[in-house]
Order: sequence, then C-alpha cells, then structure tokens
Amino acid sequence: MRQHDDTEDMSRDETLERVVQELRRPLRVNASLFDARVMDEVMRAPSGVGGRFESLLRPRTFRVSPLIALAAGMLFAVSIAGSILYVLPSRSRGAPSARGAQSEVARAVSGSPIVEFGFVAPHASSVALVGDFNNWDPKATPLRAASTGGVWSVEVPIQPGRHLYAFVVDGTVWRPDPAAPQATGEDFGEPNSALTVADPGMR
Amino acid sequence: MTRSTLSMFALALALGAPAALRAQDARLDSRLDARTREAVVTIIDSARGVGVPSEPLVQKALEGASKHADGARILTAVRMLARELGDARAALGAASSDAEVIAGASALHAGIAPAALSKMRASRARGSLTVALAVLSDLVARGVPGDTATTVISALTGAGAQDAELLRFQQGVERDIAQGATPAAALGVRAQGAFPAGAPRRTP
Amino acid sequence: MVDAGVSPVVELSDAALVDIVLRGESEAYARLVARYRDRYARFALHMLGNREDAEEALQDAFVRGYRSLHRCGDPARFGSWLLAILANRCRTAGGRRARREKRFVSAEDRHYAIALDHPADASAWREEIRLALSRLDANQREAFLLKHVEDMEYEQMSLVTGAGVSALKMRVKRACERMRRMLTEGEDAPAR
Repeated sequence: MRQHDDTEDMSRDETLERVVQELRRPLRVNASLFDARVMDEVMRAPSGVGGRFESLLRPRTFRVSPLIALAAGMLFAVSIAGSILYVLPSRSRGAPSARGAQSEVARAVSGSPIVEFGFVAPHASSVALVGDFNNWDPKATPLRAASTGGVWSVEVPIQPGRHLYAFVVDGTVWRPDPAAPQATGEDFGEPNSALTVADPGMR
Repeated sequence: MTRSTLSMFALALALGAPAALRAQDARLDSRLDARTREAVVTIIDSARGVGVPSEPLVQKALEGASKHADGARILTAVRMLARELGDARAALGAASSDAEVIAGASALHAGIAPAALSKMRASRARGSLTVALAVLSDLVARGVPGDTATTVISALTGAGAQDAELLRFQQGVERDIAQGATPAAALGVRAQGAFPAGAPRRTP
Repeated sequence: MVDAGVSPVVELSDAALVDIVLRGESEAYARLVARYRDRYARFALHMLGNREDAEEALQDAFVRGYRSLHRCGDPARFGSWLLAILANRCRTAGGRRARREKRFVSAEDRHYAIALDHPADASAWREEIRLALSRLDANQREAFLLKHVEDMEYEQMSLVTGAGVSALKMRVKRACERMRRMLTEGEDAPAR
C-alpha cells in the first residue's frame, strides 16, 4: 500500500490521460428545447421562490433571452422541418404535465413505454402525429407547440415493437422524421419513418 | 385499441371468428370503399387463418386510406405485407410474437433472406428478436449491405447484446453516416468497437 | 426580447441573478440555466451513461434548484450548490437506470446532429470508456468525474458530495485503478 496520494500518479498514466481527455470534450445540449422545458416547469410553479414573493398572478409566458433566441435561429437555419425523437419514462412525480390530454391518457395506460415525439416547425399552425398506433388519423394526436422555438411535441404510449409513423403539418403536408430511419415498404408515395420500442420487461 | 374496440373484441371471442372480423370492420368501414374493404378483409381473414398478425394489415389499409391512395394500390400493399408477414413467421417459427413477426417482415422487405432470420432465431433461442430485426431493417434501409449487416447483428445477438445496446449501436452507425462515413465503413467502425480484439465482451 | 428591466449586454454574476430571481423575476432563471446547462450536462452524461437520463436529471436539478433557491446559502456559489443537487439526482437516477435502459428507443442523440454541435462520434474508444465508467461504483464514478473531468479540489468535492476528503481520495484512487485495468486489459473487472 503506497503512502502518498496515488491520484497524483494519474497524470503519468497514458491510458487515463486519454480517458480524461475524452471525457472533457464539451457537450452541447439542444438549448432551445432544454431551456424551454425547464422554464415551462419553473413558470408553472405556484410559489416557486419560497414565500418571499407572491407569484400567483404572474403571467405564464416564457420570454426568450437573446442568447437562447440566437441558438434557436441557428437550429432552424440548418433544417427547416427537423425533428427530435426520444423516449421518456412514465413520470410519477407531482405536478401534471402541461402538455394536455395526451399525457394524461399516457399515464393512464399501464405498461406501455411512453414515447415523446418532437418536430421543429416554426411556421406551422398545426402538427399532427400519424402512425400505425393511431390508425394514421391526422386528427388523433396533435402535437403541442412549446412556448418558444417552434418546437412541437407530444407524448404517446407506444407498445413495444416496430412502428411506422410520420407527421402531418397544417393538416395536409406529410413529412417523415428527417432524423429517423426511413421505413421501407409501400408508403403510398408519402415516406414513413421507423420507430423501434424495446420491451421494458425483456432482455 | 380503444375501449369500444376492446369490448367488441371480447364479444367476438365469445361469439367466434366472424364477430371478430366485424370488430376490424369498424375501423375500415369509415375509411375504405365497400369493394376495397371486402377484398382487404378477405386477405386479413386468410392471414389470420395461418397465424399471421392482422393489426399491421389493418393499419396498412388505414394508412393508404389516410394518404388517399386508390383501392387497387391499397390492396396490393396489404397483400404484399400479408405475404411478408407469413414468410417471416415461417422463418422465425410459429411461436414467435407478433412484434417479432412484424419486425421480421420489415427485414424481409429490406432484402434480408429468410434463412438469415432462421439463423438468428437459432442463435438466440431465448429473448425477443424484435429489436435485432428492426435494427437490421433500419441499417439496410440506410445503405449498409444486407449480408454485412446480418453478419454483424447476428454476431451481436449471439454474443448476448441487449436491446438497448443494439439500439445504441444502430444510432452510432446512423450518426457516423450522417457525418459522412459510407454505410459499410460506419458499420465496420462500430462493429470494431463492439468486439475489441482479444478479450470477450461480456457474458450473455 | 429582453428580460424585464435588465440589459442583455451586461454579464451578471450568479449572485446577482439569484437575487433578481428571488425578487420575483423568474424569467431571469433562464440565464442561470444557460450558464450551467452544458457543463453540467457533461457530468450528468458521464454519470448516467446516456443522454436521455442525463437530460432528465439535469432538468430535474434545475427545477429543484429554482424551487429551493431561497435555501441557497451562498448565492455566489450557486454553481456548486446546483451541482450538489445534480449529483444527488444522478444518484437516484442511477437506481432506476437498469430498468429504464430497456425502454430506450432511438435518437436521443439525433437533435445533436441537427444542431450541428455534436462532434463526429466515430470512435469505438468512446464506447469503451462509457462502458468502463458504467462499471464503476457510483461513488467512484462521481468522485473520478469531479476530480479529473470537472477539475475540482477535494474540499469543494466534499461540499458537493457530502463525503469526507479522505474517503473521496480513496474513491478516486480506486476508480483510476479500475478504469486503467478495464481499459488496458479489456476484460470485465471483477465485482466490487
């Protein structure tokens, strides 16, 4: 057992030096989406600042700081209708989500993993999700626009397995998910995207 | 399934097959013209007769209806999918889950040989192949050669790779391709990482 | 758009921003979020091993930070205080991680491609590191990351984690040993 502080030995170890170098690589989060979600929660908190200030009558809008607006602008310059897709676990925490009826239904369905679909379309007036889990009905699953950034999203319980889906913008324009694998197979002229949901109960 | 569909289904179970078909009709009724619907229901009926999942067939018909495709095109699509589902079920075995058969059909459509599906089943007797088959389909759709993709995914599943790892693997390949790598090269790099020279990765 | 009453040109300190938020300008909290978001995302990512969990833990930490902001003892050290909350969130998230792994679907990384920020990740080496990190005990991983990636002094780490300095040194030492062994010998490290 060595007596001195072994952690200082690390700098002489080439492997760990490479590891640390790799781990130090800066990470950038999708700012507009992340910040919007945090501030949505923050602005919903009834008296989030411990009684020093009454906030019940505060307006529930989120004003974008110039830096965040700039980041959002850069995002859209790259892709006109990009999309973001990720899975959220079913939440059991306190306040109900502000995302509307979809998430209430989502929590009520036991067992199915909940998938959050996101679509970036700053100039759209409506975005709907269609797929083999909602009978491809453009009226069934509208997305909700976040308070900022033209980001639309919705949470849906999806059974494990492989699924096809797409988005319908403004009621008539069909769009696949540009960042998801394109589904092969007959698509009737409007390409679909593929979604794979792993079974939470299985290996 | 909606509640009304569920209760109709329960009723159908009590009454027998024809009522179950009527349950499917409810969704197709309002979206397809009578002639197309009749033909689609016939295909679905015979597919179910051989144990093929019917929901993807219903959904394919509804997809066509939503996209305003003509009846003939919808019919062709449903027929082709029914055949692929049947082939997938044959290749994967009758005990396969619906999800596996559906993912298997995607793989077949992407050009993977039925024999490859059977081989994957043999190498991973326990555990679902759904995600592995889905990842395989997606890789091929991205341009990875079928043989190569099959070899790598089979090796991963054979080595005990879990669903989450397979999905991460696929995401990694996609990202590399998006950054400009050729599909085969991207697969090669990822596969290299999955199988470092020498020591075994982990026990299944 | 400008935060109410505050010039966007002036870079405000953490203490000043905390004060502004506590005076009722909740929107100003967004500045703090923007300031710490990326750096702490990195820590959370390496702690939890995947972006989905990391973003959720980070989001959770920020929201909790806001809700208990009045209990932040030293607003000038908001950063460390928030990191302590985040480290705690990562601990509780870690327990759920094993079950949630199976729920993974796709593309938590894809928005990085869209945002053009994500550097090319063609390296299998990263996968090796990620795996090795995940095999460390949570205490060791946390200590390793804080010391060698976040470059913290042991005294500060003690405040963030609540553990004593000598315990932390031991954890870092063990973590280095195990990481070295896993990454050079390429075999599964024995159970702790």
